Amino acid sequence: MRATRHGGVLETEALIIGGGATGTGVMRDLALRGIHCILIDRRDLNAGASGGNHGLLHSGARYAVGDPDTAAECRREGDILKAVAPECIDACGGLFVAVEGDDPEYAERFSEHCRTAGIECTTVTPAEARELEPCLSEKVFAAYRVPDATVDPFRITLENVNHAQQLTQSLFLAHTELERFVVDDGTVRSAICRDTRTGETITIRARQVVNAAGAWAMRVARLAGCSGVELLYSKGTLIISNARIGRRVINRLRRPGDGDILVPGGTVSLLGTTSETVQSLDDVHPTVAEVDRLVAEGVAMVPQIAHTRFIRAFSGVRPLLMAAGADADGRKASRGFSLFDHESDGLANFATVAGGKLTTFRLMAEKTGDLVARRLGNSEPCKTASTPLPSADAIRWTEPGFAPRYWAARREPGDLIVCECEMVPASAIDSIVENAPGADSQMSLNAIAVRSRVGKGTCQGAFCSLRLTSHLYDRQVYDSPAGLRHTRDFVAQRFKGVAPVAWGEHLPQLELAEALHCGLLGLDHLAEDT
Amino acid sequence: MIKQPRHHRAELLVIGSGLAGMAASLFALDRGVEVALVGNTGAIAFTTGYLDLLGYDGKGLVHDPWQALARLREDEPRHPLGNVAEDDIRDAFTRFTRALTEMGLGYAAPGPRNVLALTPAGTLKPTLSLPLTMQPALAAMARGLDTLVVDFIGLNGFSARELVANLAPRWPGLRTQRIGFPDMDSGAEVYAEVLARALEVPATRQRLAERIRPLLGSAKALGLPAILGVHRPDHVHRELQSLLGVPVFEIPTMPPAVPGVRLRELFETRLPQRGVALEPQHKVKRLELLPQGITARLEDPYGEVTIEAAAAVLATGRFTSGGLSADSDRIRETLANLAVVQPEGRAAWHRADYFDPRGHGINRAGVTVDERWRPLDAAGKPAHPRLFAAGSLLAHQDWIRQRCGAGLAIATAYKAVDAALARG
Amino acid sequence: METASQTASRTIDFKAAARELLPPGASYDACLSCGLCSAGCPASGLEGMDPRRFIRMAMLDMNEELSTTAWIWTCTQCQRCKYICPMSIDVSVLVGLARGAWPSEKKPRGIVRSCEAQLRFPGTSAMGLQEEDFVEAVEEGVTAVRRQSDRFARLEAPIDKQGAYFFVNQNSREPATEPEEMGPLWKIFEYVGADWTYSSKGWAAENFCMFTGDDEAWRRMVEQRVDAVNHLGCKVWLNTECGHSFYTLWKGVERFGLKADFEAGSLVSYYARWIREGRLPVNAEWNTQGIKFTVQDPCQLVRKSLGDTMADDLRFVARTLVGEANFIDMAPSRSANYCCGGGGGFLQAGMKELRWAYGKRKFDQIATTQADYVLTPCHNCHSQIEDLGQHFQGHYRVVHLWTLICLSLGILGADERKYLGPDLARLGL
Repeated sequence: MRATRHGGVLETEALIIGGGATGTGVMRDLALRGIHCILIDRRDLNAGASGGNHGLLHSGARYAVGDPDTAAECRREGDILKAVAPECIDACGGLFVAVEGDDPEYAERFSEHCRTAGIECTTVTPAEARELEPCLSEKVFAAYRVPDATVDPFRITLENVNHAQQLTQSLFLAHTELERFVVDDGTVRSAICRDTRTGETITIRARQVVNAAGAWAMRVARLAGCSGVELLYSKGTLIISNARIGRRVINRLRRPGDGDILVPGGTVSLLGTTSETVQSLDDVHPTVAEVDRLVAEGVAMVPQIAHTRFIRAFSGVRPLLMAAGADADGRKASRGFSLFDHESDGLANFATVAGGKLTTFRLMAEKTGDLVARRLGNSEPCKTASTPLPSADAIRWTEPGFAPRYWAARREPGDLIVCECEMVPASAIDSIVENAPGADSQMSLNAIAVRSRVGKGTCQGAFCSLRLTSHLYDRQVYDSPAGLRHTRDFVAQRFKGVAPVAWGEHLPQLELAEALHCGLLGLDHLAEDT
Repeated sequence: MIKQPRHHRAELLVIGSGLAGMAASLFALDRGVEVALVGNTGAIAFTTGYLDLLGYDGKGLVHDPWQALARLREDEPRHPLGNVAEDDIRDAFTRFTRALTEMGLGYAAPGPRNVLALTPAGTLKPTLSLPLTMQPALAAMARGLDTLVVDFIGLNGFSARELVANLAPRWPGLRTQRIGFPDMDSGAEVYAEVLARALEVPATRQRLAERIRPLLGSAKALGLPAILGVHRPDHVHRELQSLLGVPVFEIPTMPPAVPGVRLRELFETRLPQRGVALEPQHKVKRLELLPQGITARLEDPYGEVTIEAAAAVLATGRFTSGGLSADSDRIRETLANLAVVQPEGRAAWHRADYFDPRGHGINRAGVTVDERWRPLDAAGKPAHPRLFAAGSLLAHQDWIRQRCGAGLAIATAYKAVDAALARG
Repeated sequence: METASQTASRTIDFKAAARELLPPGASYDACLSCGLCSAGCPASGLEGMDPRRFIRMAMLDMNEELSTTAWIWTCTQCQRCKYICPMSIDVSVLVGLARGAWPSEKKPRGIVRSCEAQLRFPGTSAMGLQEEDFVEAVEEGVTAVRRQSDRFARLEAPIDKQGAYFFVNQNSREPATEPEEMGPLWKIFEYVGADWTYSSKGWAAENFCMFTGDDEAWRRMVEQRVDAVNHLGCKVWLNTECGHSFYTLWKGVERFGLKADFEAGSLVSYYARWIREGRLPVNAEWNTQGIKFTVQDPCQLVRKSLGDTMADDLRFVARTLVGEANFIDMAPSRSANYCCGGGGGFLQAGMKELRWAYGKRKFDQIATTQADYVLTPCHNCHSQIEDLGQHFQGHYRVVHLWTLICLSLGILGADERKYLGPDLARLGL
């Protein structure tokens, strides 16, 4: 179902701001109670932390020693998600390993703390650990197995929106930026928004407004005149390897630090993360220093990281709630979430849900949904803990390894492969452009990439950008030079993630990409004085 | 098993079989020198087929590359092209295009100005010399001729619609049609190279012409992706034009593309015929710089091959081609441990914006040479009195962004060979 | 290395295997996904696969699919992918590994049966010819040749001659189905005064065991032959006009670390040498009709073994034999030439449609030359190219070099003209 845009005014019961896991989770939660929603995002789905994380479905063990409540919460939510969205989750299991030089006491206390938090934790010998994961260093001296899993945050988000669209014809509007609220007599009457692509103004009138804007929640709250939402922006950078390393999640058994986690992401692995407080949300990019730090730390757990070809780095900003007395290290700020009802700000129909983590998005949405539904006079209970998330053809394509298996099973020679690295066929693109949440008539390559694995493989879009562009012109999704601007935007976006890891075997890839994009296509001089 | 190690002796060893290596071999042959050439396809495989001299400089699009080169000498004194006299560049370029033409791959002679040639996206690229098979596009575009652009079912990544959508503003007479290639029209993927080979067969040309002819209508020209043969593109081109009765032009495609294959196969076939000892598609494993000369060692499946030469031209290219490599912090030259001028540390290799008009620092890294085109070692001295360097391996140029790859390769190869054969 | 189930292919971890078996910088990790390999591979598109896809599937852990795809029997392991690749990645190494992982009863029957036949008797013939049969065929052949002319009245084809300089192998096809085709080579040896011998043990040239992907069987095959050469104390193992027999032996010696006190030589190199030395005074004077010839570069002999040096020798021989003006080279040629699709066991695999699809490129190459004859020093190329000609209705024939050499020297017997067309069948008689 395509999002329809008419300039002018849109009406809904609940306006939700922020297209990440939380925002889309609220959208679905409310839709399951029969409530119509409009979800907006100034960019696209998962443009914030939901699109820049490990993809880790915490067993909770990571917090067991420092924050047992969070740990228990993670465990419960993880179990729920495994039950309602199994296709989004790879229950691969995890290991915590301590390496020579790590605190042996921390290692010892670990299993006890897990038990307290109700997290299944099995001791294994270093030799057993290496048998489970041959990539582990010889210097491992302690190891535990935990029920870590990985989650595809893109699929979760897409399924949330898709389900809400099905249930109550709710709408998702991408590239729609909130400019201001119209507030009158303690009520937010409408939100004045702007389509960032066309400049068109859209007014949305909603009975209830939910601020689920993640790292931007502070900004949005202030637009509504609320000053109580204080966030600390903690930037985290991760790097992605060319091929999957190991079967399970591998965690460093020590107080959280850089390069602690190596997470399998289907066909690749993600190594992260770093933590650095930043003041601005603009221009957050992975740096060479961060990447080097990750590699240096990762090598201690998994020596082959020293020779691994990395294909991409990316950064996300964790929005951390500032508690009184929180210090500058984002790691120690609370990972918990808060729901602000803003009654003390004099508003009756505005709510902010902030903080939290990917693993607990459903719970955050539940609390928010309870509040919003009550305010709407809707007495339906939350159903997300027990209602499976339905999938659909257009939203299957973010799962790593799905497209190749689909191709192998179908063997349809006429369905040309657009992204060779991830084996995404043309039919997937067609399905996405036609039916994916947020699809529209001038869908950008970036938007297609968010909804699939295009450009996420080895070549990082070097080649597939060309094939995808051609396909979109063939299908007449593009019929003007504007199409090439999407190509340019896409490859420029990809570049930001490739440059910091461009060394060794990956450097030729980037050199070749530039030769194609500039030398062959002239994307560096589009629409100029020729 | 007793295997026979193979030895060659040559007066000049050329290391690298890209444009610079090929040009160096040709120039050396012209001087009657015994040449041995070793290399493995690198960046040359991805060429459009266009031979660029200088397409963009600090001021933007270059219309007159000769004039722009004069400015380059002032603005970028360390640019390798700036260190070759204009007459030499003209001579080198002319000889090279003439040699290609004589060998069966026709190229337009370099003229006084750049031309704006087609890309598969329908953008335009400034270049100096085009293959004859691509030339008719220029006149057709200049005259705004009613033109049909044909693309093929299954030819992934080439869309005539894309081309026309982007060119239409300046060329309104363009029209597109998609057809199936004879015997390869089931919808399955086809490769440009395979179509090109098929067009070497006369019967296939007939059948293709039969499919296109009824679609021409009032079209006065026909554009196709670059598939007009690999071995004898000029012949295939002429034949097809004759069958269809209109000028036909090829348009470069994305990789894997034909122009690079044409060049590689041309040199693999013709250079040995002219006496070059060619080790095709092998890289030098070890280079020994000795008092008596330079020795290259490589391995083919059957064992070790040694080449001894009095002098050598290193034209090993950059990262794609293997002339340079980098760990996470430092860029190295891979064969002779030459000094590599480079930005300090990886953070300085690339700018934040992919398309930053200043280009990326890493692209200007490379090997520096003395006034006799001899690359310098870490101590700033020529690594060997008879070792010379040419091509994109050289520092202080950005061949991708400046569109100067071919000019750089050909002109510096010319000078390097000159220097290598100079007495005293 | 043992299978859990005899009916299921053993699943290999291709990604790990690539790291282990391929040199650093030339392994699957180095792939740029540029597609040059796929564009240049005649097996691209068969079974929906191509070399680039193979690499990608390995990196995507699609081990089940790679362990069971029939594409591995259409890839002849010609190594053209490696040749073309900017990173020199050899996709075919893992194809070989995959072949070995298939349970025997799932592998193409023809290849497996041939290998079994070879292991059965010390002669190592794939066509079930035992030593006695071979010896008899040779003896009869010798008798026939001696009757042809006085010149060869005392021709010998030694078997088991201790200390002979050349150990010559023999492809089973001739003694089994066309023994008269052995005569030309004997006459050439006689002509140049070569000191040579066959061996009764390990006499056969072909090696289907390598094609089955069974390293153990390949090794046994090669050991038999190496032992035979060592035993007779010959200086040079002279490989007949057969491609894969050359490769499988020298590669096998290297791979299995066998002790081989002799050189591996190709008949083609020796033809070239003998011609240059004047010992084989061939020329093109017989080609008064200006019949056109082209040459097929057997992958196993050229690209995979001796490279362009071999290709040059082959062309030197061909040009001398047919005349410079009558020789039209294919494009691409030499080390860059396309595999014809006859090797890798393809001819014995029973996958006709796929084999023809594979070979279409070769057919087009030949058609472009407009040659009347294709010369090739390889039995598999010979069979495949002939078959392609029939299937695609070509107008050419295929001959071995020894036929033309003898024709040129005026010593080709009346019943040694099976592969010549009516234009040449009566020449010199």
